[in-house]
Amino acid sequence: MRRLLWTLGGLALFALLWEGYKLVGDPDGTVLFGVRLLPRADDLSMPHLVDVLQRLGRPELTGGRPVWTVVLQACLFTLGITVAGFLAGAVVGLLLAVLMQRFRLAERGLLPYVILSQTVPLVALAPLIAGWGGTVWPERMTVAVIAAYLAFFPVAVGMLRGLQSPQAAGVELMRSYAAGWWRTLLKLRLPAALPYLFPALRLAGAAAVVGAVVGEISTGTRGGIGRLIIEYSREATSDPAKVYTAMLGAAVLGLVVAGLVSLLELPLMRHRRRVEVVTM
Amino acid sequence: MSAVVIEGVSKVFNAGRADEVTALSEVDLTVGAGEFVSLIGPSGCGKSTLLRLIADLIPPTRGSVTVAGKPAAQARNDQEYGIAFQQSGLFEWRTVLRNVELPLELRGVSRTERRSRAAEMLALVGLAEFGGHYPAQLSGGMQQRVAIARALAVHPPLLLMDEPFGALDEMTRERLQGELLQICATTGTSTVFVTHSISEAVFLSNRVVVMSARPGRITASVDVDLPERDDAARQSPRYFDAITAVRRELRGGGVPAAS
Repeated sequence: MRRLLWTLGGLALFALLWEGYKLVGDPDGTVLFGVRLLPRADDLSMPHLVDVLQRLGRPELTGGRPVWTVVLQACLFTLGITVAGFLAGAVVGLLLAVLMQRFRLAERGLLPYVILSQTVPLVALAPLIAGWGGTVWPERMTVAVIAAYLAFFPVAVGMLRGLQSPQAAGVELMRSYAAGWWRTLLKLRLPAALPYLFPALRLAGAAAVVGAVVGEISTGTRGGIGRLIIEYSREATSDPAKVYTAMLGAAVLGLVVAGLVSLLELPLMRHRRRVEVVTM
Repeated sequence: MSAVVIEGVSKVFNAGRADEVTALSEVDLTVGAGEFVSLIGPSGCGKSTLLRLIADLIPPTRGSVTVAGKPAAQARNDQEYGIAFQQSGLFEWRTVLRNVELPLELRGVSRTERRSRAAEMLALVGLAEFGGHYPAQLSGGMQQRVAIARALAVHPPLLLMDEPFGALDEMTRERLQGELLQICATTGTSTVFVTHSISEAVFLSNRVVVMSARPGRITASVDVDLPERDDAARQSPRYFDAITAVRRELRGGGVPAAS
């Protein structure tokens, strides 16, 4: 309940800043020595929030469906891609982390490439994967692969750190119970890794959204919110509020994914509740 | 049958390298069934290493370790011992009860049986009503008691303890010492107890094994014969005599008693 209030408060603050800046900001932006320090505050660059919300209710094109249904549908399409990419990325990340924990050699051999993978520009990679689209699998699967490509990284790194987190006492204890690697993984390493896994999953969720949106744009996949942003931005000069409806949709999509990920956490982190220490 | 037999055991860490350390050299030790033996000595004397050798957490470089009549590795696989460390090492995501259940779980004991056995062990260490708590909710002394309950859960014939009360305050320490003795007496468990406190070693043990460092070896063995081990015993002349004897051995031995 309290968290909800904080969220609403944050939204209100954002709206206040936006409209406040529009009120006091220079419509042509503040330029100092040829460098634009503050953005333009005119209605073309920063439409009133009310206009954006109103634009959601009006038809996309004359006689067409209202914008909000189009944005919602696009968001759902991208959400599907994001979830698929997130799940695939999380599974790959988990498996990589377990592999690297199990074999020192794998850690030394793989970890540099895991890090390297994230420095390859996504736009360079997208056309490569896009080649499979439409032949081996539908086009949106290609976008999901790109999302997964971004999502696996925080999971692999965070999870590896988590799997290596148990102290020697815990590991020796498992050894004293004659527990092998597998049972030590199940009973000790995996549960110990959870506090590291959840922040990693949140990062992965955000990365999957970015991957899906950027992936749609760079592969030219139709139907998603990324594509919609591009389409609407072409009309930005005549209908500036329209592109902001699509951006709003993307932002809400990000929030929804973040919310879904944090839901995963609830049942598994019961022991992390704030508790009082009993002393006697 | 002796609980532990150690014959001619040496342990060298990092053999053949510049940082080679001889932790133990030619150690012989026998712990009888039901006997409470303390290992005492300055840091670096290899007392913890010796305990780890008995537990088969590390292999000896030379010599043999026999636990409950079997080679140490097999004894570990058969869970012939329970072990407790200085850090309680409880799993924070498990409740107290489920922590105590852990060794039983790994042994494949049925759910209902391990529930009741773990509850029984918690009652033994006086924490019956804390089974549903998480370790973070308990004080250090209580956590250590849970660790002891966990070590005892499989009813091991041998209990190995590595400075289990080292991080506790004096009062909690003395109370837990009393509780430990009572538990060992009721269960008939043999115990190897590593400590660097002379009074703790003397109060708890039938025999105090004194070790010296560089290389780690056993220099003396002091038998302690206290008729009762209660608070009165902590004031008795016999207790102080034993403390003096152990202290003398720790200082290098050989010097006759002042009495």
